[in-house]
Order: sequence, then structure tokens, then C-alpha cells
Amino acid sequence: MSQEVLVKIKESLVNLDLDRTIDFVKKAIEYGVKPIDIINVLADGMKIVGDLYERGVYFVADLIIASEIFKEIMNILEPLIMREKEVLKPIGRVVIGTVEGDIHDIGKNLVTTMLRANGFEVIDLGVDVSPQKFVDAVKQYKPDIVGMSALLTSTMINMKKVIEALEKEGLRDKVKVIVGGAPLTEKFAKEIGADAYGENAVIAVEICRKLVEELRRSRY
Amino acid sequence: MNPRERVLIALKHEEPDRVPIDLGGTDSSGIHVIPYIELRKFLKLPHKPVRIINFIQQRADVHDDILNLFNVDVIDITRVSEPCGSRYALWRYILGDGTAFEGITNKWILWRREDDIGYEAEIPSYIQVVKSNNDYIAYIGNKILAKMPRNGYYFWGVIDKEKNILYNARTVDDIKKFDWDSYKVSDQFLNLLRERAEYLYKNTSYALAFVEGATLHEWAQGVRGWDKWLSDLRIRKSLAEAILDIRLEIVKYNVEKYVDVFGEFVHVIGFGDDFGTEEGPQIDVKTFREFYKHRYEELFSIVKKRSRAYIFFHSCGSIYPLIKEFIDIGVDIINPVQISAKGMDPEKLKKEFGDQITFWGGVDTQHVLPFAKPNEVIEHVKKLIEIFAPKGGFILAPVHNIQPPTPPENIVAMFKTAYEYGKYPIKR
Repeated sequence: MSQEVLVKIKESLVNLDLDRTIDFVKKAIEYGVKPIDIINVLADGMKIVGDLYERGVYFVADLIIASEIFKEIMNILEPLIMREKEVLKPIGRVVIGTVEGDIHDIGKNLVTTMLRANGFEVIDLGVDVSPQKFVDAVKQYKPDIVGMSALLTSTMINMKKVIEALEKEGLRDKVKVIVGGAPLTEKFAKEIGADAYGENAVIAVEICRKLVEELRRSRY
Repeated sequence: MNPRERVLIALKHEEPDRVPIDLGGTDSSGIHVIPYIELRKFLKLPHKPVRIINFIQQRADVHDDILNLFNVDVIDITRVSEPCGSRYALWRYILGDGTAFEGITNKWILWRREDDIGYEAEIPSYIQVVKSNNDYIAYIGNKILAKMPRNGYYFWGVIDKEKNILYNARTVDDIKKFDWDSYKVSDQFLNLLRERAEYLYKNTSYALAFVEGATLHEWAQGVRGWDKWLSDLRIRKSLAEAILDIRLEIVKYNVEKYVDVFGEFVHVIGFGDDFGTEEGPQIDVKTFREFYKHRYEELFSIVKKRSRAYIFFHSCGSIYPLIKEFIDIGVDIINPVQISAKGMDPEKLKKEFGDQITFWGGVDTQHVLPFAKPNEVIEHVKKLIEIFAPKGGFILAPVHNIQPPTPPENIVAMFKTAYEYGKYPIKR
């Protein structure tokens, strides 16, 4: 029974049906399914949604709806997780923000949700984040990855300032840097010394996974 | 051949003497105040006060000396510099509480930025800019309009989450409770626009554009939140339908007025909704048909029935699958032709739709103009002309307002090439 309801949760998320997903999650909780198992099928569902986006079947609206559904379900599950003291070990920690001078957050928020749905811990610094704030956050949270976003051609150059600030503080080698945003290109990311360019939220998650693996390998 | 004839011939899909050129003829084919000031300095043009015509975008009104120098063929009837007629700034803004504000003033004030960017320009007197911590906040009366980070380049509309009924609406009744009257264009605004349009029609030879026709999708994203509206379209459909029904009634009223009051004096009436992202449309064709196609058709038919104006539609990003839909309902001109976005290959666009729609735009303001070398700009413009110009149906313009850090050399290279290389027959 619980197996069946988990499949239904996944299916209704992939079909972007908010009401049905909530209903099945509530049912699963009634059946005594562990929150962590629900989160795992949600993550599977988000992965399928991501694949559909990559294949051009789904559009950005669909990614956003899936994220909204995921967030709604997490609101239901989080109190239960706290109560049951289940520990979700994140696969990596990401500090993310929109760079200085730029207050656009749709892309960054989408990446944040997709990362969380895929098991990352994300510390979201918000928008118009100065290089100093990035540096402070790296010192405080010791993330694996720093993610930077920009929508504007005129602000994406501020990404370089963050990388330089990290270098100056001796922190650059301790983190991987991924950048993304409408005007960016792979070439630009390379020029400013980032480790990776996330062309979209789906690709960004896959790259973050690889970056964390690389870091783990280099650390041990 | 004068500019007006040139544009009209191109819109008929015939070849005029050269490819028509636009800079500042629409709200999204102009230039940001910073590169504009730098351009004037570079060209050693006499010092003139620079007016910001769209405050949110910090778009500069292009003076007539530059229109002449760059051989521009089309102007916007909301412009406030010579040639102009009356000096009234006429612009409509959406405020944080979701209401619309109709700006009518002939008083301009000097706004001096005291940050690292540090320019000065004239803004309409009804806007107050307040510096707070790390931001500039713009108010109209006691309502918030927009916000810009210190050292930023653009303001960004702010949703006042406490006061905006539309943002907070959960039911159709909430939508009905909202006071929609502010969205109706006033007779004073219309008459001033008519006066301007008539003056420009009779006293200049430019083609005249008015592109503030109406928005549906973008407006809804503005008041509901960009991403929230996208989910409204899927998981709160009845709410989305109700919002669009009321919105359509209001903008139909406005479009009827525009067309009836000054339609005879403008050649291009524009509408716009950004449907694209860099990678693909925000929504699929099915959703477009479900929510928008029939509504636009109603709006466009007002223009078609009551005037001879061409219908211009602005939609940024990758919108290839929607172009056919636009053509179906009578769009004559597609803008901005963001060729760097996925699926917006110029050759494919021209081949598939070139007979049915005019392409207005094309010059890359994201990657080429700000960062390329002048000779690369020249090659870029030549290539666009080679592809889009044959058999008319092409007006060359920047894909969006030219933005910092675009060097003046690149802007000059763009317009010089457009003029010299754009002469028919096109050399290949």
C-alpha cells in the first residue's frame, strides 16, 4: 500500500498536479510512510521533470510549478522530520546569491529549489549580494560550492569580483564556483575563473553533483 | 525617399532604398542613459540635458542630432525631445500596490546619482527618488514604484506585498474587489498624445510608432509575481481566467481609445508580452492558445478594423513556436528577434516566416554590442542585413535598449554599417 502511494506521489508531481500530490502525501503519512521516503520519491519526480525540461517537453513554467509543489510538500513534511529526528545528510552545501547590482531572483530561486529537491543544503544569500557578503558566508558556512546568478549584462561582470575576493582571502581553493544567468556563456564563465557554468537549473544540479564529487576526491 | 515611405515600403514586404533603421522608436529599441551620455561625449555633440523617458529602464530619450546622424527612420510618439511638439511627459507606470499611475507633466527635475555610477539626467517631477541603505527607492506620491541597488543600472518594479490586493488574491471575488479604474486611460492623456501624434505626423517625415498598446502576460507577472503567475496558469486556472477577463475588458477600452483618438496619425501600434527565456518559451503553445490567443485576437481586431496601423508585437527571448500563433491572429511585426536565444536562428526565421511577418530588431545587445570589437559588430550587422533584408520586411534595431557597458565605438559601428551596407540591392 505504502509503495503504491509513493508511486502516486511521484506521478502526480510529474503531472504537475498540486492537489493530488498533497492528497497522496497525506495518505502516505497516514500509512506511516517515513518522511524521508516521501522526499526521495519527490526527488525522483523532480529529476523526471528536469529530464522532460531538457528534452523540450516541459517549459520553464512547468519547472516552476514542480518547484512550487515540492515546496508545499516540504512545508508539510518538515515538522514531521523535526519530530522524528530523521537526519537527512545533504550531499553538499551550496551558498548561493544574485550578485551585486542585480536584484533578479527567479533563476536563482529555481536553482535553489532544484538543488534542495536533489538533496543539497542551500544557503540563499538573496539578491544584490556584495563580494564581501559572499566571502563572509564562505567563512561562516564552509560550503562546497558558491553559486552566483546575474540577469544583466552589466552586472555579470561583478561575478569576477567575488572570485577575486575569494582568492584574496585564500578561500578560492576551498570551494567550487558555479555561475549562471541569462546573458552568461561558457566562455564568460571560464574567463572570470569560475569552475562551471550552469546553463539552466537542471544542468546546474548535475554539475553541482559532479563538483562535490571532485571536491571530495581532492580532499581525501 | 523619406523615412516614413521607407518604413512603410519595408512593412509591405517590398524593398525600399535601404533597410530602415530604429533607435528609440519603441520602448525596447532605445538606449540606456549611461551609454547614451557616453555616446554624446564620444561624438563631441553639444551638451544637452538628457531626459529619462522610461524611468524603470533608465531609457534615454534620443535627441534629434543623433536621429539625423544615425539615419533613424522611426520615432515614438511618446518622445519628449525635438522634434516633439508639446513637452509633456506621457507615461503610465504600475505601482507596487498593483494600481496604474498615469504620468502627465511638463515639469522635469534633475536627478543626480551620488554613487560610483554617478550620472545626472532629467526625470519627470512626479517621481521622487530616495536613497536608503543600499538601494534607491522611487516613489510616486506615497506609493512605491521601483527599486534599484546602489551602483545598479535599472530600476525594478516592486510588489508591495502588504498593499497589493491582486498579489494576494485567492478567489475570483478578491479580483473583483480590486479598483480597476486607474488602468483606464484618461481623456487628458489621450488628447495630449493625439496632439503629439498629429504634430509629428504633419511636421516630420518619420514613421510614427506607439507601442504601449497593451500587455497581458507580463502585466499579470508584474502584479502576481513572475513565477506565481506561471503556476496560476496551471494550478489556479479559474483565478487566472478571471484576472485575464477583467484585464482584457480594461485594455480593450484603452486600445479602442488609442485607435480612435490618434490611430490615423500612427503607422505602428505595438503590443508586447515577453514569452521567451533564453532556452525556450515560458509556456507551451497549448497554454498560449488556452489563455492568450483569443484575447489578443480581440485586441488586434480593434486595430485592424478601425485603423490602417501595422500591429507590432514585442516578445523577448526564444519564442519560435509562438511566431506562427502570432501570425494567425494578425501580428504584422515581430520584435525584438532575439537571435541569441535558442531556436531563433535568423535564416530559419526568415525562410519560414519572412513573407508573413516583418522582423524588427536583431542586433545583439547581450553579447555583441557590449563586448565585441567594432569590426565584429560590423560583421554581425552585415550578416543580419544579408539574411533579413531581402524582399523587405526588416527594420534594423538593437534587440533591446543598448545597455552598459556598450562602448560608443560599437554603437557608431552598428549604425554606420546599417546605413552603408543596408542599401538595396543587398550585396552578398
